[in-house]
Amino acid sequence: MSSAVRAVRRAMLALGFAGLIAAVLRLRGTGGTPPQGGGWEELPFTEQR
Amino acid sequence: MRIGILGAGAVGARAVRQASATAAVDEVLVADARPDVAARVAAAIHTKVHAVPATSLDHADVVVLAIPAPQAPVAELHVRAGQAVVATSDDWDDTEALLALDVLADDRATALVVGAAFAPGLSCLLARHAAASLDTVDEVHVAKHGTGGPACARQHHRALAGTARSWHDGRWLVRPAGSGRELCWFPDPVRAMDCYGAEVPDPLLLLPYFRDVERVSARMSATRRDRFTARLPMLRPPHPEGGLGAIRVEVRGTRGGARAIDVLGAMDRAGIAAGAVAAVAAVEVAAPRLRTGAFGLADPSLPTDRLLSELARRGVKAARFVGSHGTSATW
Repeated sequence: MSSAVRAVRRAMLALGFAGLIAAVLRLRGTGGTPPQGGGWEELPFTEQR
Repeated sequence: MRIGILGAGAVGARAVRQASATAAVDEVLVADARPDVAARVAAAIHTKVHAVPATSLDHADVVVLAIPAPQAPVAELHVRAGQAVVATSDDWDDTEALLALDVLADDRATALVVGAAFAPGLSCLLARHAAASLDTVDEVHVAKHGTGGPACARQHHRALAGTARSWHDGRWLVRPAGSGRELCWFPDPVRAMDCYGAEVPDPLLLLPYFRDVERVSARMSATRRDRFTARLPMLRPPHPEGGLGAIRVEVRGTRGGARAIDVLGAMDRAGIAAGAVAAVAAVEVAAPRLRTGAFGLADPSLPTDRLLSELARRGVKAARFVGSHGTSATW
């Protein structure tokens, strides 16, 4: 087997692994984007501490 | 109850309006360096408001100072006479000088409320309210956006040219104002603004009241032009009234053994909110005194929730940031 074919196979194998790892991280990742706005609720001052 | 208000500008006039709308207040005396302005404010607001010379404020039960800094020399005169005083100054050196009147106020058995405006003022009340829901408090971070009247705009200009002081792990961290950018989210419709360290006195008024707090900082929003021109004289006179202002108070600590963050905010015209806070504080200290001495609005002896309720009734409403999915901001 020529060295060129071996290099291509290794590159494809590496790409496959990278894709697999990326897919796992994408599915299991919990980071996401933090809240970007909104979400303000008026404080109800009915109770007295 | 008779309330005297020195200064009839953007904050003073609003304080006059709020004080005159309080049932417990029998008379409001307003004085200004421009007597015609004080007379116009008195005539426009209510029959129980009277324009008087500044010397006539000696007859008031409480004196609200709504004049440009320094307010400490005027506060000292009234405290020395045994009158309760509410100061609205947002200048660092002036705030230090006002707090230094603590012994005198104690000696005269009277109260001196320091920093009773939008920020500091409402920011201190919100910090105290947020802290009440936590078991321990490690950090308090305040950010503000907007200015009230011309004096407030000048102070904003000066604050960006001074030194930003924050409490950091047991010591004051001193940095040039205009540094330490942070994108802060304020209540709608102000939303996201770039905020920078500035010479604002909130840390000075928060630090004494939070035991074991490790970090206290204050930032103010600014544009590139604000920061670029901060060390130059103001090139044109400031506006008579700023637009919408907002504050954001982030308190970090623990609740039930877990890390917790409470983010509170408020949005209003800074001058209107500052006037309301000053008037509500004045009514509070004119009533039978809870304590004597000089103190800020984060003082735990004050009825924080009652003051916030009263402000909400007057239209200055606070809000809590609950995240984009309506979940509590707890980590």
